[in-house]
Amino acid sequence: MSQTASIELQGVDKEYRRDDFKIPVLTGLDLTVAEGEFLALMGPSGSGKTTLLNLIAGLDRSTRGKVIVHGQDLGDLSEAEITRWRAHNVGFIFQTYNLIPVLTAFENVELPLLLTSLSKRKRRDNVMTALKVVGLKDREHHYPRQLSGGQEQRVAIARAIVTDPYLLVADEPTGDLDRTSAGEILDLLEQLNQEFQKTILMVTHDPLAAERASRTLHLDKGQLVDDKVREARVPAAS
Amino acid sequence: MVPLKYNVRNLRVRWKTTMMTVLGTALVVWSSCILFGLVQGLEYSLKASGEPFDLIVVRKGSSNENTGGFDAVKADDILNLPGIARDDQGRPIAAKETLNIPVAERANGTRTNVIIRGVQPASRLLRPDFKIVEGQDFQPGKGECIVSRNLSRIFKGAQIGGLLQFGEKEQYRVVGIFTAGGSAAESEVWADFTDVQRNTGRTGTVSCVQLRAASPQDLDALKKTIDGDTQFRLEAKNEIEYYASQNTSGAFLKAAGTLIAVLLTFGAMFAAANTMFAAVKSRTREIGTMRALGFSQFDILVSFLSESLILCFLGGALGVLATLPLSALTIETSNFNTFAAMTISFRFGPLVLGTAIIMTLLMGVFGGMFPAIRAVRLDVIRALREL
Amino acid sequence: MKYFTYILRNVRRNPIRSMLTIASMSISLFLMMILLSFFAMNDESTSAARIYNRIVVMNANGFAGMLPISDLAQIREMDGVLAATPFSWYGGKYKDEQMPFAQFGIDADTIFTILDEYTVPKDQLEDFKKNKDGCIIGRKLAEDRNLKVGDPLPLKGDLFPVDLDLSIRGIYDGDINRDLRMCFFHWEYFDEALKRTAMAGASSTSLAGDSGRRSGNAGTIFVKCKSADVMAPLSSKIDDHFRNSDNPTRTQTEEAFGKMFVEMMGDLKNTIYWIGGAVVISLLFVAGNAMAMAMRERTTEVAVLKAIGFGKPLVLFLILAEAVIVAGLGGVLGSLGCKALCDFVDVARYSGGFLPFFYVPWNIALTGLAVSFFIGLASGLAPALLAANSSVINGLRKVV
Repeated sequence: MSQTASIELQGVDKEYRRDDFKIPVLTGLDLTVAEGEFLALMGPSGSGKTTLLNLIAGLDRSTRGKVIVHGQDLGDLSEAEITRWRAHNVGFIFQTYNLIPVLTAFENVELPLLLTSLSKRKRRDNVMTALKVVGLKDREHHYPRQLSGGQEQRVAIARAIVTDPYLLVADEPTGDLDRTSAGEILDLLEQLNQEFQKTILMVTHDPLAAERASRTLHLDKGQLVDDKVREARVPAAS
Repeated sequence: MVPLKYNVRNLRVRWKTTMMTVLGTALVVWSSCILFGLVQGLEYSLKASGEPFDLIVVRKGSSNENTGGFDAVKADDILNLPGIARDDQGRPIAAKETLNIPVAERANGTRTNVIIRGVQPASRLLRPDFKIVEGQDFQPGKGECIVSRNLSRIFKGAQIGGLLQFGEKEQYRVVGIFTAGGSAAESEVWADFTDVQRNTGRTGTVSCVQLRAASPQDLDALKKTIDGDTQFRLEAKNEIEYYASQNTSGAFLKAAGTLIAVLLTFGAMFAAANTMFAAVKSRTREIGTMRALGFSQFDILVSFLSESLILCFLGGALGVLATLPLSALTIETSNFNTFAAMTISFRFGPLVLGTAIIMTLLMGVFGGMFPAIRAVRLDVIRALREL
Repeated sequence: MKYFTYILRNVRRNPIRSMLTIASMSISLFLMMILLSFFAMNDESTSAARIYNRIVVMNANGFAGMLPISDLAQIREMDGVLAATPFSWYGGKYKDEQMPFAQFGIDADTIFTILDEYTVPKDQLEDFKKNKDGCIIGRKLAEDRNLKVGDPLPLKGDLFPVDLDLSIRGIYDGDINRDLRMCFFHWEYFDEALKRTAMAGASSTSLAGDSGRRSGNAGTIFVKCKSADVMAPLSSKIDDHFRNSDNPTRTQTEEAFGKMFVEMMGDLKNTIYWIGGAVVISLLFVAGNAMAMAMRERTTEVAVLKAIGFGKPLVLFLILAEAVIVAGLGGVLGSLGCKALCDFVDVARYSGGFLPFFYVPWNIALTGLAVSFFIGLASGLAPALLAANSSVINGLRKVV
């Protein structure tokens, strides 16, 4: 298992079918992400950012090519296996937080732990640790609607890290937040990257958010565009 | 007014929910209508049995012909009373009849009681539309009988050529199948009066005398003579009233049907409310928009109530339509007066339709009321902000 | 059960919807309990009669036929007979009510030896035996009509041309699922009244011709056997004995005798079952619709669950469990509620004499519960499968 290559994409194509049409979303994509990297994915709407994120997070499958995450070729896993793999290896952070409205902050964070065989006591310890990391230890009994947007997103982050996953994927994590809250969330992600060595993959529109990342990739029309090339305002290489 | 088209379109857009609710409602209406259709069938048959100028003479104090046995000598006196209508050959339209209710075996092996009626020739004229539909009429003294079409389908040996055997001594060869205009006679086996009397060892008594008066005046006079005679100690019952009083089974069916209809209406009401609450919730923003456009609260209330009514009406209509094939349904059960087998045919009529309409209205109005009120109470600004 | 919190919170998420579904379910099941119990209760109480070792003799030709009282003495002589009594249906009117309650002419000395599941205070029974015009009535009948020991009970003949002026000498009691609304009087008192009318009549011979209703008719004879194993041979022995008499008999166990009445109901039973079936199917639609609406609102949430690692079977389970809980709550309320209601409130009192007693047998209440669970499972299945197989990506996209 390579220590440096945490995520590896080799010649990945992704097409969607709508009726009889094939819509190519990603074409011939090669990408290597090192362990512990904080990678920002930018690009215009429809460029395939979220699709790329979904492929790496094991939510979606490539049409052609290999997606290898942490030494595991995701194409080799069955539907049930890949679900279990996600539970252990990936933490999800969404733009709209997607907390379960009927569960308290504590119960929301506990949710992924229910899938493990941990005892109730152990689960409680882990949840409280995660809530402490995101600074919401005193909000464990609050329901999502009783929290602010920033707080909701922090609960969502606690939910993402509670299983101590290898990889965090965040789709526009600051998209719904004001500048201050967004800053706090980005601080938190940075901290998770640096203190806890989480590999983070973040899709964003916000250049300020992208600045926090250790590397920024640009996607356009389903292909990766070199930063320098983009700056030279040359059309997408083909 | 919000145009109805808007509601219809909405129902069509969420067609799955609409269909589920409609099917649920339809089944509820359908099952509530079954017993009422049977009540209607029973009432029709009792009504068909009663003719305005006909009298049934039974022993004073007894409530039906089965329990009303009396002396045959008195019966002969009655047959000769003046004022009785005559047939085209000048014979009085009046008949002595005797009833026996033995146990008979159904084709499926179970047992029940069956009415075998010993009749005289005039008995046929005293039933509406009496017809031999298969085979021929019985001949007196030969141990023959005829069976109503409904019973011939149910009992063992009740088909033409079959032998109906009741106990050791009583047996009849079936020679014909009859109908009688849907009247009570369609749940009976008929044989010759004297044959039945002899077979059951009841020579000298009759169960009742049935007769037709020549005119309304004669009817009153006959009734007065028979009721008033202290020697007779008999009672002449007006056939129409008599049959109306024989509706104990109908009362039971009606009670059961009402119970079913009432409870199921509530059940369906809640189901409709569920659907309408969901409709209001998913259209919160639309409601806000309409209010912003200037539709009043009343408009919104009416709109959602109409939608609920349309929804329930679709179900009700489907439920009523689904009862149509039941018109071919004839069930056999026990008459609660005599414990004898009785056939009831499902009949579509005002009771069925009325039940369906009342149920539909109640479900539609009360099922839609609370969701509509919720829609009305929505805060316009907040509704517009809703996703 | 670590997922229980989540499932329960989902049940309570849209309280109005869940409550409406539960209400709809419980009302419909309540109805079903009443409809099914009507038949099941009769079956159960006739089957329960098995333990009393009783057989019933009637005319082979049915109730219209005659069963001479002289048969009684011959039957009492037979081996295996503990006691026997005439049991003659009178069917009189009370205060002009037609068939208000069951009335039987019986033998006062043996009746409560034979119907030994009923109890009568000793002094009342003695008093009844001494008074020819006395009668003993059931506790519930006494309560319904506010009758006490010592009250007169005048009955008017309907089937029979005689009236009976009875006086209440005792009140019997028994289990809730036995008939506590009967009236027992002396068979001899009844028969003497019939004899008097026959003699007073202008031509007594002809009235006597109406075999079922002349004097000297025992109606039916209830026989208590010494043990269960003599019931079958004794029955055939009785029938053989009277085979060649004027009035051949048919003897059967009390259970079979009771079943005969149920059989008479014919197609009504099936009709009621059809209705019950239609109700179940309609509930499937109602509950299924509610569950489908709930799931439609939760598309994103299900996608999130699946994204964070909830597998298909688990998602399926969570949703089915929710559906079963909602339907099951309706079932518990409807079936057990109906049972409890009928146990505490004497529903039969309001049936106008049509039902001597009414209760919901346990097997029916449990059937109701099972039906509700089935409805929960079946109605939850389609929405659950849809959710379990839905695309995570589409589900997540829906929000944005």
